[in-house]
Amino acid sequence: MDNKKQINVFIIDDNKVFSLALRANIEKTFKEKSLKIYLFEIGEKCKSMFKMVIPELVILDYNLNSDHPSASNGLKVLEWIKKENSETCVIMLTSEDSVEIAVKSFQQNASDYVVKTMTQFNKINYSLKNIFKILEAKTIARKYKLQRIALLVCIAFLLGGIAAVQILSASLHK
Amino acid sequence: MITDRNGKAIEHVCNFNYLTEMMGGKKHLIKGIMDAFLVQIPDELKSINDALGKVNFASVKNFAHTMKSSVSVMGVSILTPVLKEMESMALAATDIEKLYELNQELTLICHLAIEEVEKEKEKYV
Amino acid sequence: MNKKTKIKIFLVDDNKVFTLALKADIEVAFKDMCVVNIQSFETGEACMKKFQEEKPQIVILDYHLNSNNPAAADGIKVLEMIKRASPDTNVIILTSEDSVEIALKSFHHRASDYVVKSETKFKKINYSLFNLIKITEAEGEARAYKNVNLILLAFLALMIGAAIAIMIIKPSFFK
Repeated sequence: MDNKKQINVFIIDDNKVFSLALRANIEKTFKEKSLKIYLFEIGEKCKSMFKMVIPELVILDYNLNSDHPSASNGLKVLEWIKKENSETCVIMLTSEDSVEIAVKSFQQNASDYVVKTMTQFNKINYSLKNIFKILEAKTIARKYKLQRIALLVCIAFLLGGIAAVQILSASLHK
Repeated sequence: MITDRNGKAIEHVCNFNYLTEMMGGKKHLIKGIMDAFLVQIPDELKSINDALGKVNFASVKNFAHTMKSSVSVMGVSILTPVLKEMESMALAATDIEKLYELNQELTLICHLAIEEVEKEKEKYV
Repeated sequence: MNKKTKIKIFLVDDNKVFTLALKADIEVAFKDMCVVNIQSFETGEACMKKFQEEKPQIVILDYHLNSNNPAAADGIKVLEMIKRASPDTNVIILTSEDSVEIALKSFHHRASDYVVKSETKFKKINYSLFNLIKITEAEGEARAYKNVNLILLAFLALMIGAAIAIMIIKPSFFK
């Protein structure tokens, strides 16, 4: 499996203690993967970096306005991310278990919904494991797709070569 | 010594098992998180205090909400019901007296937690 | 998601009302996306009897299974049995109490997801199924590409072989 491809992960949460702990937890659980994790306090602050890095994965908190009262909530940020790059997978975090947030996030193509409880880091690990599997399978499929094109080109060359030789030799012998 | 909501006496407010288990005993990581906690909690307490002084319910609700995440990392589980209550009371925006009371409880437990974290941190230098 | 994808799901939970509701919810949620076939069981033992013959891709498994049958194995034991019989089957562990211990144990036994039976449980299960079906599809696609490539490669090798053979046997062909 292609583990060498770096996966870029954004964590957007306005609680620094939580973000640091989450980053440490992810790095420990998935130490065999090559991950680069970026931390942001609010969605607004990640935008320019997002355009540069185009992360494969974003872990996004719903409540982002504790320090910045005017910060967009997670659903707005999710909408922005999906518009910017629909391939980026987003895990939505929330402190309160809310059917409304779960449904709205799903409709906006979030990949998962995790409630912050005692088992928050365990749940995020499950989620990451599944998303990494999807990303890996997609990378492998892409690799085989390129391989197929290369093979088809080889076959075309070979057939073309033989045909060319035939035509050339036929005209030479005349 | 303090008691939880069921009147049971509690020796320690923090539970570091989860943090240490999660980090696999990686000292610098644990220390980094503890440092952030020690800076962040007093800030958050001050913000709640200021917001209560200004009777700004929306702000109280936001900080109570975010503190749930901060204290969960250090396993301060007795604060979860306190913060939840503060959050819903602030949302209802009525009983400021009760909020003052809850804030006192919060401040007390947070100071105990800070002491415990400072002591625990010595193991990681 | 591919409409033709067929997914076989086993539900193992001793609460009949819950199982029926979950089954209905999944069928509605995925009706436009793929073909789901759901079978329900009250205990892990009953599920394992059908397991080899049906080979489900996904099992949704409750941790507490002994309310009606005190001797029934708990979810972790059933998870172990499933993974031994078929390591590729994805298992979602359900639990009514949110517990770090169950979450960790399930993770170590290679469960694919952990869902607490809270207000949003059905939504969370949908997220989970969606991701697991995506994994199955993406892996299937990768496998399909690989197989076609192997056939192409064999074809290419055959052609080169044939060209060389003709050159040796009948060099005049290329002149």
